[in-house]
Amino acid sequence: MTFVLERPGPAPGLSLACAVIPFQLVMMAVTNGMGSVQSRESIVLNTAFPRVLIPLAGALTETVAFAASLLLPALMMVVYGVEPTAAILWLPVVVAVNVLFAISVAYLASIVGLWFRELRAFMISFVRTLFFLAPGLVPLSEIGGRAYDLIRLNPLTGLFEAFRAVLLEGHRPAAWELVYPTVIALLLLVALLPVYRREQLHFAKVV
Amino acid sequence: MTGASITCTGLGVRFLFDRQNRVVSPQLARLRRRGDESWGIRGVTLSIDPGDSVALVGPSGAGKTTLLRALGGILPPDEGSLRVRGRVASLLSVDAGLTPVLTGRENAVLLGVLAGLTRHEARAALDDIRERTNLGEAFEHPVSSYSQGMRARLGFAVAVRSYPDLLLLDEVHEALDHDFRAIVEEFARTLVARGGIVVATGHDHSLLEHICRRALLLGGGAVTVDGAFSEVVREYVGESSPPRPAGIAER
Repeated sequence: MTFVLERPGPAPGLSLACAVIPFQLVMMAVTNGMGSVQSRESIVLNTAFPRVLIPLAGALTETVAFAASLLLPALMMVVYGVEPTAAILWLPVVVAVNVLFAISVAYLASIVGLWFRELRAFMISFVRTLFFLAPGLVPLSEIGGRAYDLIRLNPLTGLFEAFRAVLLEGHRPAAWELVYPTVIALLLLVALLPVYRREQLHFAKVV
Repeated sequence: MTGASITCTGLGVRFLFDRQNRVVSPQLARLRRRGDESWGIRGVTLSIDPGDSVALVGPSGAGKTTLLRALGGILPPDEGSLRVRGRVASLLSVDAGLTPVLTGRENAVLLGVLAGLTRHEARAALDDIRERTNLGEAFEHPVSSYSQGMRARLGFAVAVRSYPDLLLLDEVHEALDHDFRAIVEEFARTLVARGGIVVATGHDHSLLEHICRRALLLGGGAVTVDGAFSEVVREYVGESSPPRPAGIAER
């Protein structure tokens, strides 16, 4: 941590927060999503309701905590003397993409949690690994060579860089930083929602 | 009159297992190597009309809970057809669908919304629910601190506040104390009198007798006897009683 915070470059702590905070939302969406149906066993066994809402409700609950955690970069901007620019108007868009991505992975995690319970620890470790396969500790501009192209394939990269653009660098995010995670999220939802809808009919059997 | 009714023809609910004997959904069964399968209920054909009160009796594993869950829309039919008309309120688990980390008040709002009330209606019902449950200050405490009886009271109070046409009870009322049982019985009688339907299971037949006029005896996932409560229970108790030793009969 000391290594990161004392790195040369503008506001390294703020740069790190721009990665950790969006990642935390994704991580919590996955962690809760994995057990989202099982943790609601009592209600699943007692009441008929649209269970397709379960991962959505979990991800939106985490979004409330995420919204509170946005105070941290605000505080860091004050500490580092980073003045907000007009680019901060893009923040709601960046947050919306982050939330959409978290919702999509919550559905993925929910299905994995139901079908492959033994993979729970692996899934969580995999998502943690994605943080280190994205420019979490250092910005993308400090990464070169082939790694630069490969890391851009990780949808978290766009999210981290979009937060940095808006909060740290004071310019609007590049289009790919928002479009790429959005497309991945939509693809996940299009692929998973029909599966989840069929699966939810049998939740009372498998919880 | 509520106009509630239940009709099912050849109703079956199947459980699929994988090689490790875990229950799996049909989608997962296609991905994994399948193990055995068993039918919770199969070939159930029955009709319950407005104003009927029906007890499901039979030994454990006979299919009573599975049938109740199918009637409540919680388990989908894998075979046959099922038609349920009217708003359903169900108490199918001892936890009554409550979320332990939430308070009684928060659970009441959540379950009210899931039962079909708007948020405004669910909130407006809180004072009435608090009074009905007689939980006092405990209404503001997490449900994890409640006894089973307190949970059943809260679940019941929320369920009836959604103005159901059908009430499904699965042994839950057996966790209630004497006074609250009387309230459940009174509600069941009122619901039936206005054309609603009550379907209840349990092993306390004297309690069921206060609620139900008709009974279905289940065995091996099928309805074996359908008739007046006292006759069906007599048949069930006669079936399940061990034969007396010849010497005792002679004496």
